Amino acid sequence: MRTLLRNRVALAFGALFVAIVFACLLAPVYAKDVAHTGPNDNHITETVNVGGKQVDVVSPTGVPIGPTWKGRFFLGADSNGRDVAVRLLYGGRNSLEIAGIATLITMLLAILLGTLAGYMRGIFDGVLSRLFDLVWAYPAVLLGVALGVALAVGGIDLGLFTLHSGSLLLPAFVIGIVFFPYVAKPLRAQALSLREREFVDAARVQGVGPLRIMLDEILPNLTSSIVVFVPLIIANAILLEAGLSYLGAGVQDPNPSWGTMLADGIRLIPGAIHLVLVPGIMLVLTVLSVNVFADGVRDALDPKATVRGRL
Amino acid sequence: MMGHRQVHRTIQASIGTLLTFMLVVGVSACGSSSTSSGKGPISVLMGTAPDSLDPGLGATTQSYEATWITYTGLVTYAHASGEAGTKLIPGVAQSLPTVTNGGKTYTFMLRKGLVYSNGAPVKASDFAYAIERAIKLGWGSESFLTENIAGAEEFQKGKAASISGIQTDDATGRITIQLVAPYGPFLNVLAFPAAGLVPSGTPMKSLGNDPPPGVGPYEIESVVPNKSFAMVLNPNWSKDAIPGIPAGHENIDVSIVSNNQSQAEQVLNNSADVFDYNDTIPPTLISQIESQASDRFAKEPTVSGLYFFLNTKEAPFNNARARQAVNYGLNRQALQRLDSGMLQPACFFLPVGMPGHPTNAPCPYGEPNAQPDLAKAKELVRQAGLEGAPVTVWGGSRAPHKEFIDYYTSMLNEIGFKATEKIVADAQYYATVGNLSNKAQTGFLSYSQDFPNPLDFYQLLDAQSILPTENHNLSQVNDPHIQSELASLGPIPSSQLSSVVPRWQALDEYTAKQAYLAVSGYEEVPKFFSDRINFGAAIFHPVYGNDWSSLELK
Repeated sequence: MRTLLRNRVALAFGALFVAIVFACLLAPVYAKDVAHTGPNDNHITETVNVGGKQVDVVSPTGVPIGPTWKGRFFLGADSNGRDVAVRLLYGGRNSLEIAGIATLITMLLAILLGTLAGYMRGIFDGVLSRLFDLVWAYPAVLLGVALGVALAVGGIDLGLFTLHSGSLLLPAFVIGIVFFPYVAKPLRAQALSLREREFVDAARVQGVGPLRIMLDEILPNLTSSIVVFVPLIIANAILLEAGLSYLGAGVQDPNPSWGTMLADGIRLIPGAIHLVLVPGIMLVLTVLSVNVFADGVRDALDPKATVRGRL
Repeated sequence: MMGHRQVHRTIQASIGTLLTFMLVVGVSACGSSSTSSGKGPISVLMGTAPDSLDPGLGATTQSYEATWITYTGLVTYAHASGEAGTKLIPGVAQSLPTVTNGGKTYTFMLRKGLVYSNGAPVKASDFAYAIERAIKLGWGSESFLTENIAGAEEFQKGKAASISGIQTDDATGRITIQLVAPYGPFLNVLAFPAAGLVPSGTPMKSLGNDPPPGVGPYEIESVVPNKSFAMVLNPNWSKDAIPGIPAGHENIDVSIVSNNQSQAEQVLNNSADVFDYNDTIPPTLISQIESQASDRFAKEPTVSGLYFFLNTKEAPFNNARARQAVNYGLNRQALQRLDSGMLQPACFFLPVGMPGHPTNAPCPYGEPNAQPDLAKAKELVRQAGLEGAPVTVWGGSRAPHKEFIDYYTSMLNEIGFKATEKIVADAQYYATVGNLSNKAQTGFLSYSQDFPNPLDFYQLLDAQSILPTENHNLSQVNDPHIQSELASLGPIPSSQLSSVVPRWQALDEYTAKQAYLAVSGYEEVPKFFSDRINFGAAIFHPVYGNDWSSLELK
């Protein structure tokens, strides 16, 4: 902890990430009290006062207004006359929510299956390792797009629970599945090594069962790796979510996400460049801040670790 | 502690990842054109590749644009802009047919001395062969043939070796077509490029990459699927071959450029000659084009409509008040802006330019060029007890259709429904909403005329068009008044439409009152050329768009 506190760069980027999260959480407050509009409210034929003049929110030929730097349309409007600043904050909430849930899914699957495969070896390891290889073999974006598109219309019914199309849990589920082998494989390797250590042998000699050993002996020794992986997965999940949403396989319209905002804005370049710059910059800042902070955490917890800032 | 190099490396890695992401999603390539000698060729850009350049298969506007000047049928359309272009003229037939037997028998005589682009003589039996080939290959609109020509359905099902309703005599050039029942627009059906003649013996397989010879001012060569093809002047075509069909002026290179921004910029900068009228000019370029290239840009009205279908068999739109509320609440000016200003707000189903469009009737649910009556719409929803009723809005992913759906969903929520969106890929959109098992409540619908007869549009509201899959009547309208009028007006030949225009107008006013659809308006399209093209001489055809045979270089 002391090492991390001495790393001012990592702390600064960590603070930036916290600030972004905080701003996104305040989206409803901003929408209600500052912009006076919701994220999906269209204002196509309305006008807004800019410098004492009434200006079309969307021009008769379809070009939206740029940043007014005032409460309403602070960062401009999109082609549907929606407030970009409001959608940016709500989009951030969606992106972060998806990234958070996806990371949870990835970590749970990876810890469970990686530890099982590494400790149990034999048939468990054989089957699970091939499963990791199978998912790993597909490029993450390609697999995410394939799953996202397949589930976007009909959702998924897993018996115990159903994910409807349009639910934010759907892209979170897809991203969580796509990334889990990237964490499970290193954890399995560590578990494989740990199971041969003396303290595990000692526990085994004392008659402790495999489940107890995994929980009490193996898992605590995987903690530093897990902590290092969490921010990395979050950063990559944010990026993949943006990519999937851009391609129509992630967050479904009209819900905003930084990816859908980029997709909406790309056809209006160069006349309404703010539509891609605003979500693009937000995406860069968020991913950068998580990545730099993650490196700081890794250096603090495990200076000799081989886990690097990219998956 | 993390050093500066470490930070630098991490920042580099992150930016690298982001740049890769942006490169993957943000950049589109564009096609290129080949060159030819002299002033030509003319470089035409196309946003979407034709579904096929084989006349027996192609059924999209992109395909027809190329094939209608390559494959002439017994009749064709006059090469003219505006209403004059809807006039049917004899093609490979000497004259328009003699119609007997109460409108069920059409008799043509083949024009003498015609040859295909490969020099082979044209025979009467080639017509029967072309129709059989289109059915065998599965032309997208083959039902126009199989449902009307006697024996065509049996041929399609493999129960007959040939179509019994088509009789030809190569010696005299006589062609007789027997219909199952009188069908008013039958001559329009024969004007489709799919009914254009091809030599007997042309393989009964897709020749989209090596199109067969045809009768017309151009032939299609050098097809690179989804990339480019060339329209080459037919060496065996003389300008007097068929009166009314001009010889082309220049060879044409067609390139597929899916990025409409890139397309518009190329034409604006004169590095390509013709913008695809099927594509939308990005809003941010329209004002630039209007100021810098006003002498080579025009908005051309088309006989096409943009609608939202309202499924009368599914709640909440099985309630007339719900449908009326949507029509009151729709802000057509908003949709006009979303369509880069290329939409004429309207309320009637039949577009301007289609016989039967009500010209002086008031719109039943408010003036389309005024702000919508949201208060009235909310009141109707409340009266119907439908506040909070769930509605799924279906739409395609292509701009600006997705933006239309975003607006429409927002409006439905504003007037009291609880609406969510379902966006599907454009290629699968109509198949998805046309599958009755999906119970699509409402969604986007765009329709352009296949031929200038209101019956073409009214198939979208014809109860006989309701099918379990590939359903065309998305509102599932089964209205006895509409059915009886269609039965009565359907057999009237296109050439006699003027005599029944008031009845079509009355029917269209009735349809608007029933609010079976929410009509957004009628689309305008860009006629946009480079400085090299003689803009004034170029024909914008009401059925087939830019008439490439009229393109000439200055």
